Amino acid sequence: MPETRPVAFRGGGFNPAGRRGASWIAFAAIIAAWQLSSSSGLLPALFMPSPLSVVEALARRVETGALTRHLAASLQRIALGWAVGTLGGLAIGTAMGIFAVARSIGLPVTSALFPIPKIALLPLLILWFGIGEPSKVATIALGVLFPTIISTYTAIDGVPRNLIRMGQSFGLPAAMIVWKILLPGALPGILSGFRISSSIALILVVAAEMIGAEHGIGAFILAAGNLMQTDQLVAGVVLLSLLGLAVSFGLSRLERWLLRWR
Amino acid sequence: MDLIVREVSHRYGELRALEAVSLAVQAGETLALIGPSGCGKSTLLGIMGGLLEPSAGEVLTSGPLPEGCLNPFTYIFQDFALLPWRTVEGNVSLALEHHGLGAGERAERVASALALCGLVEFAHAFPKQLSGGMRQRVGIARAIVVRPALLFLDEPLSALDAQTRELLMEDLLAIWARERTTSIYVTHNLQEAVRLADRICVLSRRPGRVKEIVEVEVPREERANAEHARALAELQGRLWDLIRDEAAVADREMQDA
Amino acid sequence: MRATLTALGALLALALAGGQVQSQTKEKVSIAALPFVSSSPIFIAKELGYFDAEGLDLEIKIFNAAQPVAVATASGDTDFGITGLTGGFYNLAGKGALKIIAAQSREEPGYDFVAYVANPKAHEAGLRKPADLAGKTVGITTVGSTFHYNLGKLAEKHGFKLDSITLKPLQSIPNMSAALKGQQVDAILITANNAYQLEKEGAGKIIGWVHQETPWQLGALFTATRMVEGRRATVEKFVRAYLKGTAAYAEAYLQKDASGKRVFGKKAEDLYPIQQKWVKPEPQPQTVLASANFIDPQGRLLVRDIYDQVAWYQAQGLVDKDVDPRKFLDLSFVQGHMQVPQN
Repeated sequence: MPETRPVAFRGGGFNPAGRRGASWIAFAAIIAAWQLSSSSGLLPALFMPSPLSVVEALARRVETGALTRHLAASLQRIALGWAVGTLGGLAIGTAMGIFAVARSIGLPVTSALFPIPKIALLPLLILWFGIGEPSKVATIALGVLFPTIISTYTAIDGVPRNLIRMGQSFGLPAAMIVWKILLPGALPGILSGFRISSSIALILVVAAEMIGAEHGIGAFILAAGNLMQTDQLVAGVVLLSLLGLAVSFGLSRLERWLLRWR
Repeated sequence: MDLIVREVSHRYGELRALEAVSLAVQAGETLALIGPSGCGKSTLLGIMGGLLEPSAGEVLTSGPLPEGCLNPFTYIFQDFALLPWRTVEGNVSLALEHHGLGAGERAERVASALALCGLVEFAHAFPKQLSGGMRQRVGIARAIVVRPALLFLDEPLSALDAQTRELLMEDLLAIWARERTTSIYVTHNLQEAVRLADRICVLSRRPGRVKEIVEVEVPREERANAEHARALAELQGRLWDLIRDEAAVADREMQDA
Repeated sequence: MRATLTALGALLALALAGGQVQSQTKEKVSIAALPFVSSSPIFIAKELGYFDAEGLDLEIKIFNAAQPVAVATASGDTDFGITGLTGGFYNLAGKGALKIIAAQSREEPGYDFVAYVANPKAHEAGLRKPADLAGKTVGITTVGSTFHYNLGKLAEKHGFKLDSITLKPLQSIPNMSAALKGQQVDAILITANNAYQLEKEGAGKIIGWVHQETPWQLGALFTATRMVEGRRATVEKFVRAYLKGTAAYAEAYLQKDASGKRVFGKKAEDLYPIQQKWVKPEPQPQTVLASANFIDPQGRLLVRDIYDQVAWYQAQGLVDKDVDPRKFLDLSFVQGHMQVPQN
């Protein structure tokens, strides 16, 4: 009998499965380290407020009801701006996915307008829409519009052509092919576009509330910055990122439900 | 319903795909289209069902539509072309939804098509949960639910393994025995052609022309019997002789179409 | 070749050493300032050699907003700072890193600086004097800015609630002018030269001046706490030079004739090149005169007013409760501060 050797296992790793709990532990560790360096004086309050003072600042705003006011004002702007931008983006992106004319006009125009920082357009938006709500909603809507156009157009373009041929072979009218084949087929791409556009809406709410906003998380953050109230500044930023987490969680749920066929 | 193809030619830019193809398919028969790869079989099938516009020539039909026919020219696709976000039932019902049927009639039609294809217990499954064979059964159910006058099958079994293919051929034969739908069956598999077709149309390589039309003399329902095995094997050999040289040339061609 | 290089190197070393010897005789200090006419005492004192005379080599670092001036001084990027007093300044000073040591601008009766400007429509509709601002929409730069404070004091003086004014934070002076022109606000608060400009264009009506309503201590010279503690002698020298600058400024820009009208003479003309060099955007002589607001010639602070400011910001929730003016005021460098609270 010849000598035998075991075959070594070489297939491990490269399999990043989410470990539940790990993210919470990491969060807790970072915050604990932050609090420790604050209370030990390693991190002077002049440069960075401690987590406790941030929580206190938040709690104060909750007590006075200011937080609800700020949240309500911002959420309204975000929701409206995002909805307007998304509807417009879906319509234009779908048209670009279907019609040759729309595509040959839309593609260069979108590429030209997408990279313009919407904050730079703020003075123009104020001239067009005034300093009230419309200019704030428009800032967010514009920011949302272009990425939505691109993700919708790309997603529609990615729907397998053979499915469209199948629809035609069964005599489906063009509108039905769009509604029953193109749009559902593009849904995964459109939904992942929502992740980007919702983050952009959150980023832009701060810019949108730079001008003439009495309430809103962005106005709150800006005022705190102007007043050097760093604890409130960080509290506002924490609020924004909590909002981001909530939106991301909601979108994941929506995705899981709408794309349960995957 | 009969289908008449008259002097059909087709080119893709400079490339000539079909050259003056004429043939007639009689009501109730199954015609197989075979030929070396790139001979324009699928192009011809697309033209026959109105999905492609020929560069020259015309396609005509004659005779009455079968009763309850909703979509006279109906395809079964090689890659199944199922909507992954619809269930089996939803995929079959897609073909009916724009015809203004009542909900009751639609459900009835879908149920009977599913039953005919052995899909009843999979009605609420999504395509990704099914095997390749089951997926193609959904494609077949979706085709027969509209009671087509002409059924165009574009290499329907070539994405499947040999065992599944065997099972599906039996299913197709059973369905044809019942419905007697006029069918055009594109394949590169000679065994399939010999087993399923009444007549076999052999196309030459590019540009595709009708080289020969061969009748399969053994009745379809008797072809599984051992006594006919030899005759069918001989027929298959003859078909192979017809396309062998051209298949070899086609195999060495660069892909430019 | 190598020999030449070595020789060059030696020469260079010599030159550097020589330079060092020279600057060793002078102490390096730096100040953060805005490029405005209100920073002039510093520019004048530097250009006329008052700092050199004290043995100080002053570097002026120009910033474009009040906030960074205070932050730069608190974080140690500069030794001194000079700018307006805002809610943000008090929050920063309350953390213990800054000390106010002398006065800068003040709203003093008879010296125009910040105006209340109404848009012509609102003016026609009855907005004729600052007290009429109750219930109107007013553009300001930011929450906690000096304009915000001015409105608060105005409301206190005339007995209406600040809440009755709708405040529109617009971030910048150009935005405020635009909002006034577009009639999106009834009025704004804006500095004299801009106010005159708006009135000339017919885009606004000056309905009053802050100095007529609520005189107050607008700006200050301040330093980092570590300077007072570690380099007291340097701070003293610096203040001496600064006060020569404020005196020269007062002689040139703050003179009045017998009837109480402001007059500008040859001294103002002589200082124009200094303004031209430091003030941005480069001003016309007329602009300098229009922007020359009151700065106490002896650098004396209205101390009571600083206490009042902190209390007002705290009452608005804009300055932290634990900020205490006593801790960031160092009144020992300038003699004769005014209205010092006795406690």
